[in-house]
Amino acid sequence: MADMNRERHRTRETAFYLFTQQSLPACKPVLTPGWVITIFLFMGLIFIPVGLITLRASHSVVEIVDRYDTECVPEAFRIDKISYIQDDSIPKNCSRFMKVHKYMKAPIYIYYQLDNYYQNHRRYVKSRSDKQLLHGQKYHDTSSCQPVELNSGQPIVPCGLIAWSLFNDSFTFIRERAELKVNRKNIAWKSDRDHKFGKNVHPFNFQNGTLIGGGKLNPKIPLSDQEDLIVWMRTSALPSFRKLYGRIEEDLDADDVIVVNLMNNYNTYSFGGKKKLVLSTSSWLGGKNDFLGHACVIIGSSSLILAIVFTLLHLKYRRPHGDTSYLPWNRKSLSG
Amino acid sequence: MKRYVYINDDESSHELFCDNRISNRKYTVLNFLPKNLWEQFSRFMNQYFLLIACLQLWSLITPVNPASTWGPLIFIFAVSASKEAWDDYNRHLSDKKANEKLVWVVRQGIRKHIQAQDIHVGNIVWLRENDEVPCDLVLIGTSDPQGLCYVETSALDGEIDLKTRVIPAACMGIDFELLHKIKGVIECPNPDKDIRRFDANLRLFPPFIDNDVCPLTIKNTILQSCYLRNTEWACGVAVHTGNETKLGMSRGIPEPKLTAMDAMIDKLTGAIFVFQIVVVMVLGIAGNVWKDTEARKVSLDLVKSLYAKFIDWDSEMIDYETGIPSHATNTAISEDLGQVEYIMTDKTGTLTENRMIFRRCCISGVFYGNEGGDALKDTKLLNAVAGSSPDVVQFLTVMAICNTVIPIKSKTGAILYKAQSQDEDALVNAAAQLHMVYVNKNANILEIRCNGSVIKYEVLETLEFTSDRKRMLVVVKDCQNGKIVLLSKGADEAILPYAYAGQQTRTFIEAVEQYAQLGLRTLCLAWRELKEDEYQEWSLMFKEASSTLVDREWRIAEVCQRLEHDFEVLGVTAIEDRLQDGVPETIETLRKAGINFWMLTGDKQNTAIQIALSCNFISPEPKGQLLLIDGKTEDEVCRSLERVLLTMRITSSEPKDVAFVVDGWALEIALKHYRKAFTELAILSRTAICCRVTPSQKAQLVELLKSCDYRTLAIGDGGNDVRMIHKLISVLALVEEKGCRLQEQLIIVLESSAFLSQYSFYKSLVICFIQIFFSFISGVSGTSLFNSVSLMAYNVFYTSVPVLVSVLDKDLSEGTVMQHPQILFYCQAGRLLNPSTFAGWFGRSLFHAIVVFVITIHAYAYEKSEMEELSMVALSGCIWLQAFVVALETNSFTILQHLAIWGNLVAFYVINWIISAIPASGMYTIMFRLCRQPSYWITMFLIVAAGMGPVLALKYFRYTYRPSKINTLQQAERMGGPILSLGNIEPQPRSMEKEVSPLSITQPKSRSPVYEPLLSDSPNSSRRSLGSGTPFDFFQSQSRLSSSYSRNCKDN
Repeated sequence: MADMNRERHRTRETAFYLFTQQSLPACKPVLTPGWVITIFLFMGLIFIPVGLITLRASHSVVEIVDRYDTECVPEAFRIDKISYIQDDSIPKNCSRFMKVHKYMKAPIYIYYQLDNYYQNHRRYVKSRSDKQLLHGQKYHDTSSCQPVELNSGQPIVPCGLIAWSLFNDSFTFIRERAELKVNRKNIAWKSDRDHKFGKNVHPFNFQNGTLIGGGKLNPKIPLSDQEDLIVWMRTSALPSFRKLYGRIEEDLDADDVIVVNLMNNYNTYSFGGKKKLVLSTSSWLGGKNDFLGHACVIIGSSSLILAIVFTLLHLKYRRPHGDTSYLPWNRKSLSG
Repeated sequence: MKRYVYINDDESSHELFCDNRISNRKYTVLNFLPKNLWEQFSRFMNQYFLLIACLQLWSLITPVNPASTWGPLIFIFAVSASKEAWDDYNRHLSDKKANEKLVWVVRQGIRKHIQAQDIHVGNIVWLRENDEVPCDLVLIGTSDPQGLCYVETSALDGEIDLKTRVIPAACMGIDFELLHKIKGVIECPNPDKDIRRFDANLRLFPPFIDNDVCPLTIKNTILQSCYLRNTEWACGVAVHTGNETKLGMSRGIPEPKLTAMDAMIDKLTGAIFVFQIVVVMVLGIAGNVWKDTEARKVSLDLVKSLYAKFIDWDSEMIDYETGIPSHATNTAISEDLGQVEYIMTDKTGTLTENRMIFRRCCISGVFYGNEGGDALKDTKLLNAVAGSSPDVVQFLTVMAICNTVIPIKSKTGAILYKAQSQDEDALVNAAAQLHMVYVNKNANILEIRCNGSVIKYEVLETLEFTSDRKRMLVVVKDCQNGKIVLLSKGADEAILPYAYAGQQTRTFIEAVEQYAQLGLRTLCLAWRELKEDEYQEWSLMFKEASSTLVDREWRIAEVCQRLEHDFEVLGVTAIEDRLQDGVPETIETLRKAGINFWMLTGDKQNTAIQIALSCNFISPEPKGQLLLIDGKTEDEVCRSLERVLLTMRITSSEPKDVAFVVDGWALEIALKHYRKAFTELAILSRTAICCRVTPSQKAQLVELLKSCDYRTLAIGDGGNDVRMIHKLISVLALVEEKGCRLQEQLIIVLESSAFLSQYSFYKSLVICFIQIFFSFISGVSGTSLFNSVSLMAYNVFYTSVPVLVSVLDKDLSEGTVMQHPQILFYCQAGRLLNPSTFAGWFGRSLFHAIVVFVITIHAYAYEKSEMEELSMVALSGCIWLQAFVVALETNSFTILQHLAIWGNLVAFYVINWIISAIPASGMYTIMFRLCRQPSYWITMFLIVAAGMGPVLALKYFRYTYRPSKINTLQQAERMGGPILSLGNIEPQPRSMEKEVSPLSITQPKSRSPVYEPLLSDSPNSSRRSLGSGTPFDFFQSQSRLSSSYSRNCKDN
């Protein structure tokens, strides 16, 4: 036993000695042609199939996109859309037709897409109070919410620009005169509902101020159940983004025509933003996105090409590896 | 200017002088914070970070939490402040220990035990054997009847041999009981830090001795921090106390030294600052154009959109780790070691063993020891000794007593010699073996035993050897016949010119030449009988001179000069100082590595050249060429300097080893009047030998090279090198045997520090570019894509751990480096951030930023574009890429490297999972969500492949088709085949005896002085022989070219 201990102790000592002497056993990979060509070949052989599988998944997704921000403005107001959207007296309802070109399997996700909408602007991103969203009025420091912080001396719940600009277009879907059932529950992350938005926080004074932004909230419903708000508060990092509106839980057949009745309330006209409605199925990879597939295929094939080029180069200009006679000082002594 | 110390006067000195409390502390409790902060903020980098951090406090313009800057800033500052505080605390502890040590001090006539800090100037302090000296003392008594004591001064000057100290003549013979009551005054200079001088006078009050002034020198003092050895007790008067002692004055905590890397980082920070300003301007204008509705301070917004500031915070921390503790006393300099361009080395004790052995001698024109190489075994000499040949006896007498050696009788009856210089030790021992035994020294009476009879001499005056005078002088009186004799021993040029008019010095010059060729150290011995009145007259002058307070050294030298004429030169001794093991190989290696080597020595020119040759310092003909600078006057020096310079310029393109040799005298003139030309020469020349130089000249040379911005390493061991070394940034005392080891460290440190700075540059730029790109799609508002926690962790954790280990990376194994030392030279050229590597890393970081950014925003578009997720995807992309970058740049993977690189990647996920599990954090559930998505993993692999593929391809291409020198060696090394190098270092024959001596010995008389035409009018002219009949006297040979070296080669 003591022997073993001593043995172990000695081993450790030796290891430490090797460490201090910088002579631990080491593997020293060298970029030999063989290795490099193998690596590139391998990369090509992996990435091309992965890319193809990814592309296939992306292609299996059926997606219908309909831009409605211009079409839903009556002809008369097309020149001055802002006055149209800001005039409460003009009815904002509008009907759109969407044709299903391919069979869509439930669940079908309904997204609204905003383009040229900078939810990632610094002052916009910062204008919120996570603590207030969770604790409500108990949390007083809402200074981060500027410029939408107070209403007649009291903190607005929820405060901040993001909440203030809540998206408020609404959609109903009719197929063959029957209204499609849209499930608008569970569109937000469960973690947000449970831990980020308070169950006892009610938006009692939201959108009561002089400057009305976007959507209004039902003061009776606590924030944790205001899923539209929760979705909206997850700001996007890109100026074009989609947010989940709801789910259609029926399959749609090819050539179905869906009538969308929408309320075109949200003002994107003042900054030239576009509004789109998106119906999309989903795959194991998410929504329709060819980028990953294309990128994989491109990387894979360029790796293959590189592997071939390197092989040819190696065959043509075979250069002795590690020939020290190429070293200048050796060369000098060779010639001199 | 002066201070008067009243011995045993308890009261008067208290107000005048400080007490003996020593303090090495840099800070006090109160001033620690401000002083330390001030020191830290005197660096540009820290000022810059403070500015950034302050800007961040203004929340309007800050995209991230100020904590992301303040956190690391405070952390870094706290680390270095606590290190300082800890050091200071330790200093305080050791001070306290020293201050509270109990010492015996006489108070009111009674010996008392008090704490060291309570010693006052004027107190009499008693020390026992092995005690540390608490303050500077003037000795007044020792246990030794002759008033001697031995001290070890290693703490003061690093010399480990014992030094003798003696009580002043005035105190001689005072009864030890009376020492308690001694009264007197010491007139001494104000505290200074010269540990070799103490020009003071002592005057004892009656009843002790008459009112005579007794001069004091450094020999009569024992200084603080020395140890009393081999002496039962000693007592002395405190003259300097506390921080006013010689040690205290020269102490002082060195200010933190900026290494080359620090300087580089500071420069880089400046560059980044400019870069930021430019980006801010450009983006600020863009931001204003984009959002013209709101007039905002966009430009300031963007100050923070860049994160380049994090560059090198990590490397700053790494500084503490890189110190490879094997030999450096200051960890920060280890990175400078890799960049040494000049090495200045002392010869004796550094290149050589400093173990002197008496080998040969020449007495009255007869050479002894030439046959066997050992005069002590030469029967001729033994016979001469046995036959009491007067010349030989005189010679041996001088050998035995013209020195400062003290014989000590050991218990067994054998006589041990305590010598301060190894040469003297060798001479006395040799004399003893030749039956001239120096038996005893009793006060001023010397006893020598010669062939059984004891002869006594009374030493009247001694003037020790100084490197300026280059000779020593002893005046003794023969107790038998009362004759007064002057004995002298010294360098040939300090002795031979003073020979009496009729003496033939020719043979001595030849002897010196011949010995020098063999690399032996030569000394000439001489004597002269003095007449009684001549001595008396001179003695008075000497006394006066030796009690002056101003320029004492010079005055004494001047007085001694008056006696030094009409010498009868007795002979020449030759002492061998063997080279240390491995020296030739080491020097060869270092020289091949492109490091310039200068040898500074006090030896004779020829000796120096021989040593230089035998240790590969200079190459023999025809590869090498030796140029000489000499001359006695300004004009001569100027002319020879110019000629050398001309030759140097011409030959600098040839693959020839050109070295110049300069002697102390010419050097003095050159440094004084032709500094510019000499500097140019210093830059051109790779090798130089400076002989006959004084310590202060050594220091001047180092200073000169330093002023040209060369990194210089000075190597030395003796006290005479202290000044030279102090002039350096890097204070290093290296043992030359460690040379080989040093070598490997050089290359490792060099590479890793280069990679370190490049890498921290790279990884900060990647993040910085991504932020810039992101600002283009966020309305140029300066939103940070990454949250504060991630940014902080990225800089101080995720990306610094792998680099820490990269410090241990090795490009090449030691064996390979030793075989191809030239590689070091190429490394020097490619180190740090030169423009092309800079561009390379800049391009790489830009490329990687584009890869990460483009892939991320396309793969995570539309419904997946949630801020936190996207930011985490981009961050993971960066982490993956940097892991592979480090892996690609690592040359040898040990378990540590694997742990650091891949463990770090795993740690990244673990940490983010933990953070993602905290509901309060902004990243709650994000990492779990991502890890469940197949698209996340595909994105990661895509980023790695797209980022590393081209880098790998490029690296492979360059590695294979445009390999650098290192690459070639790496390949060769790892192929496992034999590494052929035509420039192999073969073990050089080192023994001078074997190789060189036969050449010069076989024809010592008939050799023709062939002068190397190096300095002839045309540098290209062929060699020209002057024939043997050329007038050949000492001075000519000095002022002409020295050629023993080329002559050897020719003979070869």
